[in-house]
Amino acid sequence: MRAVVAIAANTFREAIRDRILYLFLGFAVVLLVGSKLFGMLTVGDETRIIKDLGLVAIQFFSMLIAVMMSLLLISREVDSRTVFNILAKPVRRWQFLLGKYLGLVAVVAVNLTLMTLLLVVVVWVYQHELDFMLFFAGAMTMLEMAVLAAFATLFAVLTRPILGSLMTLAVFVVGHMSEDLWLLTRQLPGAFARAVIATAYYLLPNLERFDFHTEVVHDLPIPAAAVVWACVYAIVIIVLVLYLANLRFRRKDLM
Amino acid sequence: MADIQLEVRDLRKTFHPGLFESDVEVLKGLSFEVRRGEIFGFLGPNGAGKTTTIKAITEIIFPDSGSIRVCGLPHTDLEAKRRLGFMTESPYIYRHLTGREFLRFCGELLGMQRSGLEERISRVLDEVAMDAHADRKMGAYSKGMLQRLALAQALLGEPDLLVLDEPLSGLDPVGRRDVRDIILQQAAAGTTVFFSSHIIPDVETICDRVAIIVEGRVRAVGSVAELMSDEAECSEATFVGAVPADLRTPLLASHVGSDASWARVSSAHRDALIQELADRGARLVSLNPVRSNLEDLLMRHYEGEGS
Ligand SMILES: Nc1ncnc2c1ncn2[C@@H]1O[C@H](COP(=O)(O)OP(=O)(O)O)[C@@H](O)[C@H]1O
Ligand SMILES: [Mg+2]
Repeated sequence: MRAVVAIAANTFREAIRDRILYLFLGFAVVLLVGSKLFGMLTVGDETRIIKDLGLVAIQFFSMLIAVMMSLLLISREVDSRTVFNILAKPVRRWQFLLGKYLGLVAVVAVNLTLMTLLLVVVVWVYQHELDFMLFFAGAMTMLEMAVLAAFATLFAVLTRPILGSLMTLAVFVVGHMSEDLWLLTRQLPGAFARAVIATAYYLLPNLERFDFHTEVVHDLPIPAAAVVWACVYAIVIIVLVLYLANLRFRRKDLM
Repeated sequence: MADIQLEVRDLRKTFHPGLFESDVEVLKGLSFEVRRGEIFGFLGPNGAGKTTTIKAITEIIFPDSGSIRVCGLPHTDLEAKRRLGFMTESPYIYRHLTGREFLRFCGELLGMQRSGLEERISRVLDEVAMDAHADRKMGAYSKGMLQRLALAQALLGEPDLLVLDEPLSGLDPVGRRDVRDIILQQAAAGTTVFFSSHIIPDVETICDRVAIIVEGRVRAVGSVAELMSDEAECSEATFVGAVPADLRTPLLASHVGSDASWARVSSAHRDALIQELADRGARLVSLNPVRSNLEDLLMRHYEGEGS
């Protein structure tokens, strides 16, 4: 376990020193400028708009970090041969993969926490309302990102960097269109096209399950079962996807 | 056998680069043994398969067949990996880490006790003369400094077996001398050293035994002396007052300089040459025995490829 933690910590440190946290500043600008702008344009409920915009921005920037990190997650260690040094030591390949995955998750988590904190503060300052449910929405987004990070790890060992990142992005996009896919399978004419869409539906996670924005923004009740189900769903997918990644990486010749 | 620290038996590896490229058979049944406490040279030209063999030993690639034992254990065993110190062909860089942070990371991977780690890191930094640069980022290191740090990392876990891929290549003369000294020190302290090289003098001067590897096979193994014992000795003569072309004694090579002439004869004809020079009234300036060196031996192995 120490090796896993060491690899995760090293991945985390590398990302931080690469200034990936600067993305947080991008989020801050979007949030502050955006809420001012929308606040001026619309007459409706300003608080809800800020919360909604904030949560979407948190999701978007977290996704951006996961996708960007997947670009270099494995390939940098392989291309610069630093991975040789790790694997020649008493470290199993699954430990390396797990360490990389956890490092990625840690980077996203730190960012996401900072962003959520900023959102809570902004809502408090502008609207004098302390909404702790925003933390809940952030936590669920974190769960979504943990799933996405597992896919990023899988694609990092399956393909070349740019392609892997695009595929991670595709999982995010398609994962939020899951319901639409389901509808598509019923409406498409050709049997083949239906089969393709149905396969995508079953293979890719439904990321909408982690989206509690509406409930949090509009103070709607949150069914406990949906939360528990989302957690179980995330864990199953993460374990499965990391297992697949290890299956590929376990006996891969490194050049 | 506990006395064999590294055993490689009938190793085979074929790479399959891609759909439209032909397969490359790199290792063709390669075998050798490294005994405890010796410095073992793995000598062969570029592309012979040295790095591929070492990658197989360190589990970076997986051979198609054959077996590898490290310190009497299968090379995949974590204990075997703990006892092995490894340095790659060209130094690897974590730009974001300082030398000391890098060694700390390596120590954690080795599962070393946290308490003694800092002390041990200072020790190895001192051994490779990198203590002055330990707190600078690796991105700013020169090639020589990276090589030293890589060596420090290999020494960190107090390995029983050091596996070094081309440790002396690409260094300036001072760097070469320093790395060579470190290898000798380690061997003197009882560590078994296995290192690859394509440079003959590196191997000739410090190795107890050498394996010559050409095109994925070991062609010869033995001490430098053993490898050359069956080589006929010859002599080189420098003389004035005679032209090599006039001599009746068969010469292996000759050269006419402005002041003196030079010729090489086999040991069998050495006395005949001395006699003939005396008969002609020429003056023998010097006569030195030259042992055919490893290079000649290697050349013959390389050339033997075609046949
Ligand atoms: N991944 C690979 N795919 C195809 N050929 C390879 C691969 N790795 C090495 N080779 C080939 O194997 C041969 C031996 O390489 P290597 O072990 O690096 O030699 P050495 O270290 O002795 O110089 C070379 O001809 C090289 O081109
Ligand atoms: Mg090599």
